[in-house]
Amino acid sequence: MIKGSESVVMINSNDRITTPQTAIIVINFILGTGILTLPRTAAEQVKTPDVWLTVILGGIVTMIAGIIMVKLSRKFPGKTFYQYSKEITGKWLSKLISLLMIGYFLLLGGFHARSLAEVTGYLLLEGTPTWAIIMPFMWISLYLIRGGINSIARLFEIIFPITVILFLLVAFMSMKIFEIDNLRPVLGSGVLPVLKGVKTTALAFTGPEIMLIILAFMKEPHKAGKAVLVGITIPIFIYVITVVMVIGALSIDGVVIRTWPTLDLIRSFELTGLIFERFDSLLLVVWIMQMFASFTINHYAASLGLSQLFQKNIHPFMYGLLPVIYLISMIPKNINDVFKLGDVIGNIALVLFGFLPLLLLIISKVKGVKYETNL
Amino acid sequence: MKQTFNHFQFLLVLFSVFLLLPLAGCWSSHEIEEQSFGVGVAYDKGKESIAEKEFDEQGGGYTKKNLITSTYQLITPQVASSTTKQGGSQQKSYVNISETGDSPFQMLRELSLRSDTPLTSPHMKVMVISEALARAYSLEQLVDQTLRDNDFRPSCLVFISKGRASDTLESKTAGEIPAFHLYGMIDNTYRTTRILPPMPLIKLASKIQTGSSFLMQNVLSANGEIKFAGAGIIKGKTSKMIGFLNEEELDGLAWITGKGKGGLVKSFDKKTGQLIVYEIESMKSHIQPHVKGDNISFDVHIESVGRLSESWMTSGSAFNNQFLQNAQKTSEKKVKYLVTNVLEKMQTKYKVDVAGFGNQLRIKQPRTWMRVKENWDQTFSEVPINYDVKLTIKDYGASGSKK
Repeated sequence: MIKGSESVVMINSNDRITTPQTAIIVINFILGTGILTLPRTAAEQVKTPDVWLTVILGGIVTMIAGIIMVKLSRKFPGKTFYQYSKEITGKWLSKLISLLMIGYFLLLGGFHARSLAEVTGYLLLEGTPTWAIIMPFMWISLYLIRGGINSIARLFEIIFPITVILFLLVAFMSMKIFEIDNLRPVLGSGVLPVLKGVKTTALAFTGPEIMLIILAFMKEPHKAGKAVLVGITIPIFIYVITVVMVIGALSIDGVVIRTWPTLDLIRSFELTGLIFERFDSLLLVVWIMQMFASFTINHYAASLGLSQLFQKNIHPFMYGLLPVIYLISMIPKNINDVFKLGDVIGNIALVLFGFLPLLLLIISKVKGVKYETNL
Repeated sequence: MKQTFNHFQFLLVLFSVFLLLPLAGCWSSHEIEEQSFGVGVAYDKGKESIAEKEFDEQGGGYTKKNLITSTYQLITPQVASSTTKQGGSQQKSYVNISETGDSPFQMLRELSLRSDTPLTSPHMKVMVISEALARAYSLEQLVDQTLRDNDFRPSCLVFISKGRASDTLESKTAGEIPAFHLYGMIDNTYRTTRILPPMPLIKLASKIQTGSSFLMQNVLSANGEIKFAGAGIIKGKTSKMIGFLNEEELDGLAWITGKGKGGLVKSFDKKTGQLIVYEIESMKSHIQPHVKGDNISFDVHIESVGRLSESWMTSGSAFNNQFLQNAQKTSEKKVKYLVTNVLEKMQTKYKVDVAGFGNQLRIKQPRTWMRVKENWDQTFSEVPINYDVKLTIKDYGASGSKK
């Protein structure tokens, strides 16, 4: 490690996360707005009941991208992307790429905050102004990230099992309106439609890019590949279950006309005789926790990026980014703009985390960048 | 120094205490005692109630066409509190209120001009649409608002009524809420083949989107009572009602789809004309499409296992297999008749496919389906359909032989 100017932002040695924590951070970053809209966006592209296959393929594509990002970060132990990119591309270009990445995290954070406000404003808190929903959300996120990566990881460890258990419970409750015929025929129109939707579903898995940053914090960086694979496999399961259940209940034709198909699935049945008849609130609890998790990581990654770029303390950036993210979340004028923003972010991710890491990996191999191994 | 610090600390604590207040989370709350819960809604052809006519004469009203009358069934706070009191007052436990206009949403809001406890719809259980209205307007347009709404859940069940829909939300029984009554009757599918699988709003929306024809449970009302009787046929292309299947035709349909959970087959012995009733324990049906060039045909295999639940036969003993086989044959014949009967209704009278033949074609011959789906109902009306029925009587209850 280079001493001196970097010592300000050097990663504190006891601020380390374990491999399972890394995987959980990736999972929580992936699961966000997509879970409510994925059945629709994917079905629009695929148009056959084979959407679940597309989801699996999309996941596999993301895995490849994730492994590339891990390979790249493994070359520079103990450094985040913001720090090591200049060793590959030179100072100015690296600053530009880092700024783009920070911009991406801010956009995604704003998008998540806005989606959260849209859904809660529609179903839970009708009449509560958007700012009153978003602001407390952001303040709590600020409180969490002030504690550093360790606090974030520990909170996510609590959120994760609750998410999985409640989600599975709610998903299987919807068996009541599930019709297997809506998922048949399998590959009735061949493989082509399935491939059409891969871009859409792969972008629903954006999240492994966080490895570019958190790999530096890992106790055992050599297990990063495993963490990212597990971190994508579990969302694949959750997404496949979601898509199968939603399309099984609403059919392909029915799903493309609904704004939030997953919410509709849960609102479309009642189970009498149990303690609860309705499960919308359970799904929303899970979803809001996941949104919070995604948002927190965005906020943290952007603040860390700025602090490492300007080599200043991270705290002022955390506070300073709050209004920025808020303003971004307020840019979309209506719900269509919100979805459009989501698409734009997806395309940015495609370039920044699909192609760029691979390019950097090739450059660093060719240049033979010197790095110390302490593994 | 120390004092200012204390001041600052005091202010900080004070501010934090105030921050606790919004945690109560009652930003835009409405008291439950000030809400009426809507539990059912009925849509009819426009016919103003006496009160509405009076209002209009006295200069009320607004620009509207009297096309639709919607009747909302409410459980008002007054009603709810009076029925929970002991003593069981002999009064209705619901309130029906009608509005006439041309926009279901506007009519709903119009209620707020007539009541101090406005309607909220998160507990809507049933929606009944009258035949007259369903024949005149597309269902897609009628239910549009409810499918967009954030309170009105897509789990609300939808029915058709041959008479006035608002009558199905009336009841003479003290303490009974007609909407719940309707909602509960759907659970009886395990006892009869004359109840269709429930049709929540979301399924209705999906069915309309697929553009194929489908059935909706029909509700009749007479003398303050209600009954499920047959089903309305909704044409896929227009999403309007075009016809009607009676109870026996629904039996036949259940045999074709194999979706029945229970029920019976009543038949008469060929020789003696005496009654035999077969009770269904399970039914399965397999629809196999065959495509040869441009010719489509279907084979339907129907299988069922059940028991002899009633027999008026004066001779023969159920301990004897010959007797059971005879009963089986008689019941099979009856099922064949039911199937023929409903097929004929679908193919010749209405020219629609509501038994899911098209769906099976879509699943098993997707490429053919792509070709014929545009005009499927027309194509279906000329398609040959072969079927065979196999019933098995497993047992005959607690009594075997006669004399």
